[in-house]
Amino acid sequence: MSRPHRVGDWLDARAGHRKLLRELLEEPVAGGARWAYVYGSALTLVFVMQATTGLLLMTTYAPSAQTAWASVHYISYSLSGGWLVRGLHHFGSQAMVVLAALHLSQVALFGAYKKPREMNWWFGLALLGVTLGFSLTGYLLPWDQKGYWATRVATNIAGTMPVAGSSVQALLQGGHEYGSLTLTRFYAAHVGLFPALLVVLLVAHIALFRKHGVTPAARADLTRVDAFYPKQVLYDLVAGLVVLAVLFALTLREHGAPLDAPADPASDYPARPEWYFLSLFQLLKYFEGRLELVGTLLIPGLAGALLFALPLLDRAPTTALRQRVAFVAPIFLGLAGVGLLTWLSMNSDAHDSTFQAARKRADGRAKLANRLALAGIPPSGPLDMLRNDPEAHGEELFAKNCAGCHVLGDLGDRQKATAPTLDGWGTSAWVVAMIHDPDDKTRFGNTPYKGQMPSVDVPPKDRKSDTPFTPMPHEDVQAVAAFLSSQEPSAPVSGDDVARKKGESIVRDRCTACHMYKGDGDLGGSELAPELAGYGSIAWVTAQVTTPATPATYRSKAVDDEASKGHMPRFDGDLSPTDIDLLARFVVSRARGVALRSAAPEHP
Amino acid sequence: MPEGNEVDESGRRTFLKVLVGSGSAAFACALAAPAALFVAAPVAHAGAATGQRWVRTVRLDGLREGEPKKVAIVADHRDAWTRTKDVELGAVWLTKRGDRIVALSTTCPHLGCSVSANADGSGFGCPCHTSTFDTNGHKTGGPTPRDMDTLDTRVEAGFVLVDFRRYRMSVPERVEIG
Repeated sequence: MSRPHRVGDWLDARAGHRKLLRELLEEPVAGGARWAYVYGSALTLVFVMQATTGLLLMTTYAPSAQTAWASVHYISYSLSGGWLVRGLHHFGSQAMVVLAALHLSQVALFGAYKKPREMNWWFGLALLGVTLGFSLTGYLLPWDQKGYWATRVATNIAGTMPVAGSSVQALLQGGHEYGSLTLTRFYAAHVGLFPALLVVLLVAHIALFRKHGVTPAARADLTRVDAFYPKQVLYDLVAGLVVLAVLFALTLREHGAPLDAPADPASDYPARPEWYFLSLFQLLKYFEGRLELVGTLLIPGLAGALLFALPLLDRAPTTALRQRVAFVAPIFLGLAGVGLLTWLSMNSDAHDSTFQAARKRADGRAKLANRLALAGIPPSGPLDMLRNDPEAHGEELFAKNCAGCHVLGDLGDRQKATAPTLDGWGTSAWVVAMIHDPDDKTRFGNTPYKGQMPSVDVPPKDRKSDTPFTPMPHEDVQAVAAFLSSQEPSAPVSGDDVARKKGESIVRDRCTACHMYKGDGDLGGSELAPELAGYGSIAWVTAQVTTPATPATYRSKAVDDEASKGHMPRFDGDLSPTDIDLLARFVVSRARGVALRSAAPEHP
Repeated sequence: MPEGNEVDESGRRTFLKVLVGSGSAAFACALAAPAALFVAAPVAHAGAATGQRWVRTVRLDGLREGEPKKVAIVADHRDAWTRTKDVELGAVWLTKRGDRIVALSTTCPHLGCSVSANADGSGFGCPCHTSTFDTNGHKTGGPTPRDMDTLDTRVEAGFVLVDFRRYRMSVPERVEIG
């Protein structure tokens, strides 16, 4: 006898596995193996994949408000194979919902819920409930904007339940606020409670299925009987492999699962649930005020009750579809309704420009957060990382404090701006344009300073014909621009050493008729033109934003209502020094990153 | 021809069984391959996360000739996704010997306990398994397989810089980790 056989005999004498396997595999399939029966097995196979990838994710995921997003980012962007595992889990969860719907449809069509299989139908519905529970809890775990806001809406809906609502909500959330306890609770449900429930229900579901066997199609040839193994097993396996191939394809195409910006309770976010909950989301739009419960609880509850009652209502022994239309049609009408509501929701979003703009902003922030996090996340969490980043927080500060008057890139309103456009501010091209035509509408043109600064190479309009005017030579203009634009130490220098030295001496000798340079100048004493030492640098902007009324920028008259002609206000009362520093860094780097928009000045 | 049909039927079943076997194997591999990659990923990166070199410690004039001083190695640290600034990564014993600064890792080469200096100045000892070392870190007794690990030092702008590295434990020769 061959060696494997001897080992098998040894094992069988002790474990009795052969009898068990025979019972599992030789199950007769009445009417023969069919492709229609594959959905349940495909669901089980996808569940195996979800359990495997889920366990892998657990080796790295850390549920807390500070670490959840960070660890998911680490899985997605730093760990080899992390994007693949998370992507499979992400798309697998959607496959579970789709396959569950298909499985339910097949069972309804074949009349497999009928006596004596009622219990099995109910176990199946319970499994569907657990599957949706998995989806809901899993969606929150990355603790990103998408999951956070969608889940908050869901738990708030639970809170609207009559009588026990607020208690149920507090129980789910682990308190009255969202936080680390919400995460740990959802995590425990997702990786402990629901898997255990699912396995117990699934074992019962399969055991009952084995007890009663398949429900063959009404017109099937019942003299034909296949054993479960190998034919039906092969069908089931092929279905499982096809699903797996689709999941791999989706994961490869999207390069894993998306990760939105870290959850920020203080932000505006266009919240939407995962696509298979969109129908419920859309339903809420139709029921307002006291009728809201109709959309949140009554309609979904009635649908569930109807499904539950189906085997009790449809009691005729026949499985022929024609005689069950009244019972089966509502299910498919319901599914069609779900499809219609989903489409309505997607369609309304696609045509909603406010939503699209909010979505675009959210995507931009997600992209930025994901890029910043590659360098590591501080122990205080990803929100702190964003709050200390000039690009992320500086932009918010600019939008809130500066964009009412200034324009910078996409920020601010070009039509309504009353302060200079900052695109290219501090670069040599900007300096050249400024000293050539200070009153362009993107510079002083729309400000109270219009007409205050003369051009260096265009004679003033009110010049008397006998006043001599010598335009500044092109090389000198370039030299001044090279010098001024090189004052920010972190920016690349422009021009050569000789030009910058020359530029500095022109600034010191000629510009100081009105401007200050290193504390000297303003020969006319008008106190209108700013200090040029450090002009264009982060330090200069920091000083200016803190208060323009210091010798570092515009001096004391700047904030004097009478004399200043409407200068920019001081911000040291509104913004912390840290925020002013971030804002200055943002302004300088964005200004130098955005190309100058006005037409280039002409030179003879 | 019942016999022919039986052969056909049994051949067909065998074929189906082979298909089932290979299909199952494909399914298992499709899950096992990403799983292996994922689980092994941190092993492949082990040690690379730290990558510390030349950490500034104490002022040179804070060291007294021949007297070992324990100083902390403080630097930025990356642990998986977390980046922490100024963390104590470990410590070294610094001893000034004329122009030279000798740095000895406080990590016992036996099993990684923290080596302390004897109060009488006679050298170092490990409190766990009683390995002993002389003032130069040479092994004098106990289970340790090698001398204390010396680290390179240099002086810059009045401060002692240490080239902080970690070595595998319980092996006779020094093997750097990472």
